[in-house]
Amino acid sequence: MSGQSVWSRVIRDKHLYLMLLPVILFYFLFKYVPIVGEIIAFKNYRFADGIFGSQWVGLKHFQMIFQSSDFWRILRNTLVLNLYSLVFGFPVPIILALLLNEVRRNWYKRIVQNMLYIPHFMSWAVLGTIVVAALSPSTGIVNLLLKNLTGGETIYFMADSFWWPIAYTISGIWREAGWGTILYLAAMASIDPQLYEAAKIDGASKLRQMWHVTLPGIRGTIAILLILRMGQMMDVGLEQTLVLQNNSVLDVADVISTYVYRVGLQNMNYSYTTAIGLFQSVVSVILVLTVNRSIRLFGERGLW
Amino acid sequence: MKTDPVSKLGIVSAYVFLGFVSLLTLFPFWYEIVASFSSSRAITSGEVFLWPVEFNTVAYQRLFDDGQLIMAMGNTVLVTVAGTLFNMVMTILAAYPLSRKRLVGRSWLLMLITFTMLFVAGLIPNFILIKSLGLMNSYWAVWLPGLISTYNMFVMKTFMEGLPGEIEESASIDGAGDWRILLQIYLPLCKPILAALSLFYAVSWWNSYFNVMLYVTKSTKLTVMVKLYQMVSAVDSNLLNSMNGNEGLEQVLLTPEALKAAAVVIVVTPILCVYPFLQKHFVKGVLIGSVKG
Repeated sequence: MSGQSVWSRVIRDKHLYLMLLPVILFYFLFKYVPIVGEIIAFKNYRFADGIFGSQWVGLKHFQMIFQSSDFWRILRNTLVLNLYSLVFGFPVPIILALLLNEVRRNWYKRIVQNMLYIPHFMSWAVLGTIVVAALSPSTGIVNLLLKNLTGGETIYFMADSFWWPIAYTISGIWREAGWGTILYLAAMASIDPQLYEAAKIDGASKLRQMWHVTLPGIRGTIAILLILRMGQMMDVGLEQTLVLQNNSVLDVADVISTYVYRVGLQNMNYSYTTAIGLFQSVVSVILVLTVNRSIRLFGERGLW
Repeated sequence: MKTDPVSKLGIVSAYVFLGFVSLLTLFPFWYEIVASFSSSRAITSGEVFLWPVEFNTVAYQRLFDDGQLIMAMGNTVLVTVAGTLFNMVMTILAAYPLSRKRLVGRSWLLMLITFTMLFVAGLIPNFILIKSLGLMNSYWAVWLPGLISTYNMFVMKTFMEGLPGEIEESASIDGAGDWRILLQIYLPLCKPILAALSLFYAVSWWNSYFNVMLYVTKSTKLTVMVKLYQMVSAVDSNLLNSMNGNEGLEQVLLTPEALKAAAVVIVVTPILCVYPFLQKHFVKGVLIGSVKG
């Protein structure tokens, strides 16, 4: 092997390279070309002039971003909605998995699991339709129940800047919580049963076993999922937000991705919103790298 | 070992709680079914809860008569089937060579590919690219940028790396080339992961709406999810008018709510029908994916 030149090894593997040809083309054209296209953030892009023909304007768009009140609003909304999903959503699959892990009847465990992750397979177009319908002030089941049970006032959930983020967060949990439990359950299954035996002999209750055996046993999994989650901190799911959004809640519901779509594509402010997108991507990368590093500092295996 | 009554109670409440949560998860879907078969009067007066009230099928009749949703369903099937096929071919073509340690330049390629997972170009540059390529209003605009999910590709690569290297060695001593080894030896061994990944791809095509909405504007080419999204965002009265024909009886029975509910039921049914047969592949796929490579 060592005697062969690089070139002869390439010739030997020519069929492998042939297989890779369309793959390399794909990554080049649809991943790297758009990255190069980001330079329009530093230009005044006009479709007629093309990316390279358009005029350079330096950091003008970035200055505009940081001076615009729109930007701070969408940045705040992006971070707040993400923070809600993280704080309230991240623990849910862990708790569900802890409980499911105690279920000894296998058929029950299977049925519960299968039911919990059904929403994951539904489009946001479907889930959004259901959420909007259920929360409708006139015909929605939630308001009808409220009225019948408490006789209270009708709440305009989706048009109310207090309720909208809550509906957003809960609908996110609804879709993803069950799915997340799969990984945690798998991680729990690989914990050494002797640890539980030992804990039982020491007189640990179920709760204490969860705390001292199960949770430490899935620490690595939690860490990795947390890093992945942090990478999305700057990116609120476009599809979910778009179906749930309406004009009356834009002050809390407008996030970076929907803003780029609306102002960038629909109003054709290409360069300005590309600058916003670039800012978003750069911050995301920094976040992942930082979290990955700090998790390694705590002694857990990071993503790399 | 005897269990103390306190933890026994804890276990029972865990069972009850989990049962309750899973019913709660599914209730919204059930309610859509119930609402789609109920009369407009019953829905607005709040009598509908667990069972249809004043059973009727007007909403479904209207959707089927209108034909647009059915046509969109056909488009979605096309997008899903072809898209998944392209995905699988490309993912295999990427995963197999990249799983060969002897490949010169392998680590470079892997680095360049990993970078695209970390740093994603924004919406606008992608849009400009599709437009410049002249792909607007064609499904290629949807298929081509999604040919490979890098994450899925890595899952398959890791799986292939886990297969014993001796298989490849002995095959190549017997004179089999790379294509033969891939097609006749590796692919049959990869069946579980092939099944899981094609399901992942298929579900995401079936569910996607944003990219279709972005690039495909011709109304005869829209997919069901885009149709559904348009129904949600349409102002209610417009929705009824746009689905023309306003005979008196139907007006009484039909509300936009029932219409949307019926549309949801139609769109969701295919997934729910195949779900029981496929869910174990999904779980397997997630678990293989979680083994770090």
